[in-house]
Amino acid sequence: MHADIPGLFDEPTCGHNRQKDSKERKKGCPAPKPGATAGGCAFDGAMITLVPITDAAHVVHGPIACCGNSWDGRGSLSSGPDIYKRGLTTDVGENDVIMGGEQKLYDTILEVAAGQAPAAIFVYSTCVTALIGDDMDAVCRAAAEATGLPVVPVHAAGFVGTKSLGNRLAGEALLEHVIGTQEPPASTPYDINLIGEYNVAGELWPVLEVLDRIGIRVVSKVSGDARFAEIAWAHRSRLTMVVCSKALLGMARKLEQRYGIPWFEGSFYGTRDMSQSIRTMVAMLGDPALAARAEQVIAEEEAALRISLAPYKASLAGRRAVLYTGGVKSWSIVSAMQDLGMEVVATGVKKSTEEDKQRIAQLLGPQARMIEKGSPEELLRITADTGADILVAGGRNQYTALKGRVPFLDINQERHHPYAGYSGMVQLARQLDLAISSPVWQQVRRPAPWERSDRELSDRAPGFVRRPGAPELQQHKDSQQHKDSQGGSGLTSLTASAPGGQSFQGGEDGREVA
Amino acid sequence: MADMVTSPRRATIDPLKHSPALGGAMAFLGLHRTMPLVHGSQGCAAFAKSLLTRHFREPIPMQTTALTQVTTVLGGGGALAEALATITAEHTPAVIGLLTTGLTEVSGDDTATEVSQFAASHDGPDDPVVIHASTPDFKGGMQDGWAAATQAMVSTCAEPGPVVNGQVNILAGPALSPLDVEELRLLVEAFGLDAVVIPDLAGSLDGHLADRWSALTTGGTTVADLRRSGFSQATLATGSAVSRAAETLEKLCGVPALVYDRLSGLESVDALVSDLADISGRSVPRGVRRWRQRLADGLLDTHFVLGGVRVALALEPDLLLAVGSLMADVGAEIVTAVSPTRSRVLGRLPVPEVVVGDLADFEQRSADGGAELVIGSSHVGRVAEQLDVPHLRMGFPVYDRLAAQLRLGAGYRGSLSLLADAANCLLEHRGTRHGASLHVKGARAGDTCSAPFDSPGTPLPIPGETGSHVTKEVSSC
Repeated sequence: MHADIPGLFDEPTCGHNRQKDSKERKKGCPAPKPGATAGGCAFDGAMITLVPITDAAHVVHGPIACCGNSWDGRGSLSSGPDIYKRGLTTDVGENDVIMGGEQKLYDTILEVAAGQAPAAIFVYSTCVTALIGDDMDAVCRAAAEATGLPVVPVHAAGFVGTKSLGNRLAGEALLEHVIGTQEPPASTPYDINLIGEYNVAGELWPVLEVLDRIGIRVVSKVSGDARFAEIAWAHRSRLTMVVCSKALLGMARKLEQRYGIPWFEGSFYGTRDMSQSIRTMVAMLGDPALAARAEQVIAEEEAALRISLAPYKASLAGRRAVLYTGGVKSWSIVSAMQDLGMEVVATGVKKSTEEDKQRIAQLLGPQARMIEKGSPEELLRITADTGADILVAGGRNQYTALKGRVPFLDINQERHHPYAGYSGMVQLARQLDLAISSPVWQQVRRPAPWERSDRELSDRAPGFVRRPGAPELQQHKDSQQHKDSQGGSGLTSLTASAPGGQSFQGGEDGREVA
Repeated sequence: MADMVTSPRRATIDPLKHSPALGGAMAFLGLHRTMPLVHGSQGCAAFAKSLLTRHFREPIPMQTTALTQVTTVLGGGGALAEALATITAEHTPAVIGLLTTGLTEVSGDDTATEVSQFAASHDGPDDPVVIHASTPDFKGGMQDGWAAATQAMVSTCAEPGPVVNGQVNILAGPALSPLDVEELRLLVEAFGLDAVVIPDLAGSLDGHLADRWSALTTGGTTVADLRRSGFSQATLATGSAVSRAAETLEKLCGVPALVYDRLSGLESVDALVSDLADISGRSVPRGVRRWRQRLADGLLDTHFVLGGVRVALALEPDLLLAVGSLMADVGAEIVTAVSPTRSRVLGRLPVPEVVVGDLADFEQRSADGGAELVIGSSHVGRVAEQLDVPHLRMGFPVYDRLAAQLRLGAGYRGSLSLLADAANCLLEHRGTRHGASLHVKGARAGDTCSAPFDSPGTPLPIPGETGSHVTKEVSSC
């Protein structure tokens, strides 16, 4: 492997690392547990970080699984080119495994350069091609020479580690091969970089619009709706904001080291965090006129938001949510939901650092539950225990929630709605409200009529015919329905309606909820 | 009839192919209380799981041995043993469906030995059966993985024994949707026969709301079913992908195999129905005859729409044969048929040549042939958009339409349903074209919901599954 992986593990800005002694640090991040692991590999992480560069071609050097099973599955949107969406691969076959895949990779790069006219080509190694020892750097150098295009090798084979390590390796590839290789056509004192924002569902665009009104120019994005050239001139920016990404803190730190660009960590989720991020930005850019304009825009946006959010706030106030998402979002989304008057009763901390946890404790208060191990069973149990109205998590848990008859909101990269910035806040409120107050929950939580009467019929003599409106049965049914339809937390009423040990919420152990 | 051709291109652009492990996992998901386990790095399972989830809109049980560089170099056996033990302890599955990957096949792990060691030390009544299929990523595609997994199911579990009259096996191929599998079971049961369906996706991935969430599959073929498949009177193998499993059952347990290359179209379903009448000794039930009449009528009605229409298909081999032949049955002209992998059955497709290739080949040939209807997965959407032709979604993955698992394509009823869907897809597009010509330039062409004279306004960037900021829509089904 080419990148300095032990070096990446020794990231001083990583909160996990600060807790460890030097020996522990060398061991790197904990290895995944065979048979009990969810989530992507390093290759996946590298693709997540780089594929949103829309005018670049992304060539996967490996067997079909790596590209064939994953292409066109990412939610980053483009305002222009769509080369990034193409699935490009060497589709390494048995012969290539035996003979080596370098020539096929070279030919593939040349064909892609000729056929797709990309601004640059990123080439990703995978487990198999790393294992058979293909010299990807040499092939990329030769191909760059032949095509006249930047051809960037990304060494993040799946088995080197987790998705997060892949994010970091992608950042390394940009630092090593891209940033500083081109000069911007013009520079202003208000140029900034955004790192870790992928324009999922197009959520970057409304944020850019607000920043533009203030006079802040986002010249480089890593990498939502980015063009290759803008990343190449990231070294000329005056400030870097790391958006909800622990994995790319190291990249920001290195930009500071190499080019003297100061950085800060912020979030666009929630009114408070959005305004706070803008204020930090203008403070760090150090222009009073800019700061004044920022305050004006913030005031306008917040005032408009108060009006649009009012109806949602009324319906969401006091609603309880369980949040399960990685690292930074564990607190950044909390603040967004609290801004809506919701109560976050539990949040995932699996990927959070100690610093994240402290922030969570501050935000949620001491009684909030921190979920270390978010297995589907555990998430359903905690949702039931806390009487939560909704589970907010990544797409992976969508069907966990639905099969548990729990309202769900997708917060991760596969989602279809933009939640960032002020307008994203309205969208978030609307989607939360739609999910919680959907009429489907009552219908699917209620057992089929015969499931109730089956129990009664089993006590009756054979041949009993139930007539519609038979008083005894009807009365029973009414009382059930009454319980079912009692408002408030859907889950509490659900468990109340299932007295016969038929809880739908208890997970595998079927335990009842008091 | 058809020759197999490939493009001289070296790059694969927009692959049609998926990994064999994904196909194998899909087959294992048709077994009851099962956990597919992908022996490779964690991404091998994560990508497959994510794509299966998007297609079925169901929770997909799947685990990984999560190999790292270190465990790969030292040999993945330890990680495999640990994964098997962990899954057994945490979930007590009935079956662990083990699939290898490119990584484990290249590093030369002795997976079979690991599995037999685990089986020897875990032979209690509650211990899982481990079914192991070899599915290297660099050899074959989804359908090959399905073939390997189904063969492993019967070779691991089926027991020879006295013939049970009236019991028949249905070996379900990857060309069948879960609802197709159910249709087939009902057809067999209509003859008073007891069907053992292997694998039974209608029991697990048909999209049903079970009483509670489960970490394992919530239905499908049981281990007891797999065992008793050796006692059946006959095996009905539906597609070439399960012919190896059928041969294995014949060899191991003496169950005679009947292999049907396809179950779409009047004559091919007739063959199955005649065999069922023979096996059961019963005459064809009234309901079955009625559906045959409906399909015959449907062929007449749809031939006005589909006759002469230039159709382009990009599908896995068995499905390509089934859908391609059905289109030919109704008089459509197949301008190109693209398969991700080679398969012997493709020679039977009534076209001069079958392209083994990717979606770049498909786009080129569809354009050259003047295709008027494209049939393929959601990945084909881009091609349909480029060519501005209607797109009938079939195959895998279908993530931009609902109820992919309920799409019918086999049997009298399924054939009829597929013909009607194809015809309607075309008609809707024609209607749209007519309407669109009344729009001012720049209107969204596929916007069938608005009246022709509505002002189209500025299209908002509505992010969809595959949408980009600037989306040109075409009518699609």
